[in-house]
Amino acid sequence: MAVRSPLEQRRAQHQRYKEDVQRTGKPFYPWAMFHDTVMSLVVVSVIVALACIWYFTSGESPGEPGLLGPRFTSEADPGTTSFIPRPDWYFYFLFYLLRIFKWPESVILGTVGIPTILLLLMLALPFLDVRRERRLLRRPVAVVAAILVVLSMGILTYKGATTEESLGGDEALIEEWMEANNLPEEARAGAVLYAETGCQQCHLYLGAGSANLGAPELTAIGAEGGKGVDYFARYIGNPRQFGNTVMPIYGESLSEENLRQMGIFLDASKGPGGGG
Amino acid sequence: MPRAKSARRQQIERAVLYPLDWLEERSGLIGGVKYFIFRKVPQDIGWPQTLGSATLTAFIVQAVTGAILAMYYKPHPETAYESIRYITNDLTLGWLVRGMHRWGASVFIILMFFHMARVFLYGAYKYPRELNWIIGVLLLALGMFEGFTGYLLPWDQTSYWASVVGININGTAPFLGPFLAQFLQGGAEIGADTISRFYALHMLLLPGALFALIGLHLYLVIRLGVTSPPWSPEAAGRDRAEVAPTTNGRAGLVRPGSRGGLTRTGVRK
Repeated sequence: MAVRSPLEQRRAQHQRYKEDVQRTGKPFYPWAMFHDTVMSLVVVSVIVALACIWYFTSGESPGEPGLLGPRFTSEADPGTTSFIPRPDWYFYFLFYLLRIFKWPESVILGTVGIPTILLLLMLALPFLDVRRERRLLRRPVAVVAAILVVLSMGILTYKGATTEESLGGDEALIEEWMEANNLPEEARAGAVLYAETGCQQCHLYLGAGSANLGAPELTAIGAEGGKGVDYFARYIGNPRQFGNTVMPIYGESLSEENLRQMGIFLDASKGPGGGG
Repeated sequence: MPRAKSARRQQIERAVLYPLDWLEERSGLIGGVKYFIFRKVPQDIGWPQTLGSATLTAFIVQAVTGAILAMYYKPHPETAYESIRYITNDLTLGWLVRGMHRWGASVFIILMFFHMARVFLYGAYKYPRELNWIIGVLLLALGMFEGFTGYLLPWDQTSYWASVVGININGTAPFLGPFLAQFLQGGAEIGADTISRFYALHMLLLPGALFALIGLHLYLVIRLGVTSPPWSPEAAGRDRAEVAPTTNGRAGLVRPGSRGGLTRTGVRK
């Protein structure tokens, strides 16, 4: 047999495939169609079963959870501050990825970089792996890559699903902050504002809040020198001026006085034991 | 008597066949369907190859339940939540339709991943099926975007805040990010314009693209055939040089081409 180019080999193989199927294959109906029909019935039954379990174990009022979560939570309210954002489960991996990367240096890597690279790799796969070999034992790179992808997606999804977050704007929490962070009395108004305006949806403060979109922890933000009350007030007023395109612009919803109070609060936040 | 019966039978047959012939003559569709149903598939395929059609079934469930939901859902911040509450708690069997749509979405996504894993493990994305793999990846991306846009529509706290984060994530992308976020949001804040946009994407643009790509996906599956499991000794298209000596060393020597013609052993070349 003459040595043939890879493309010729692939073409010959597909030709063999077509001949083999013609000669030894079975007709789609009834063999494969039987399998497909049974499988489809299983799929529909599973969907109906999930819907039934979800409905019959949950209550009529908002937020009354059954085995599969509530029918709906309370109506959307852009003004609330105490709600923890949570996407549907198949975005948990992305959601958790965002906690690993911190604003501003590497957050783009988490939000856009890694998903884009994954998508491009998937699209390019048939052109990266052009060998004819299909047996798993002879495709070690593909097998290891598959195991790594499944493992990391699994771990990220699990982490995203089980991360506990505490949010709260109650007085006890603010009292705790005043105490633990050794805050002066004039920082109280800013602390209350901080808890009420939704900062905690993205920022962590003394272990409370969330860590979304790579937002930094603010527990000891005042200890990073060179900032000061004015800087914080201007930053919160319009983060765009500081090159931050993610954080909402609070200059529209908060007054000058409010912004200054927040500035005092953040400037006074020097971390537990760092105040003194 | 038998003659009369056969004449009547012929008449019935003609009556049944006439519209089919009429359609076939003008479109060729009957031949296409016949080809689809009676085409040969490799003898060693089984349950793993049903994941694709299972995914299609889940998609059809989404399309049907989605169309019913659209008859009762009112996409506006002031009415959306109440219409979802009505569908779930008051409307006859509304809970079943919404429940199936909600959980069907998860099943659809899971099945897409399983189907993709099967194709990957079987090496079924290789020549000549590269294009179909690419279409599959696009279907996965569009399917997840369907999930993202559908999640906002109930307009409860969960969906609202998840969408806030989701839109902000889009906003962090370089260059196009802010425009994409602005486009999704539709206004200064997430409100009536956002719902309208998500609704239009969720039940017009994305399903349309999904339908078209699924059609193309199926066309290529039928045109190129289903792959055998690569480890199967009877895999269609296997290399003869490697298999022949292990199964029957004399096959090519004693009775050349007795079962499959000379090309099997490459003698003709």
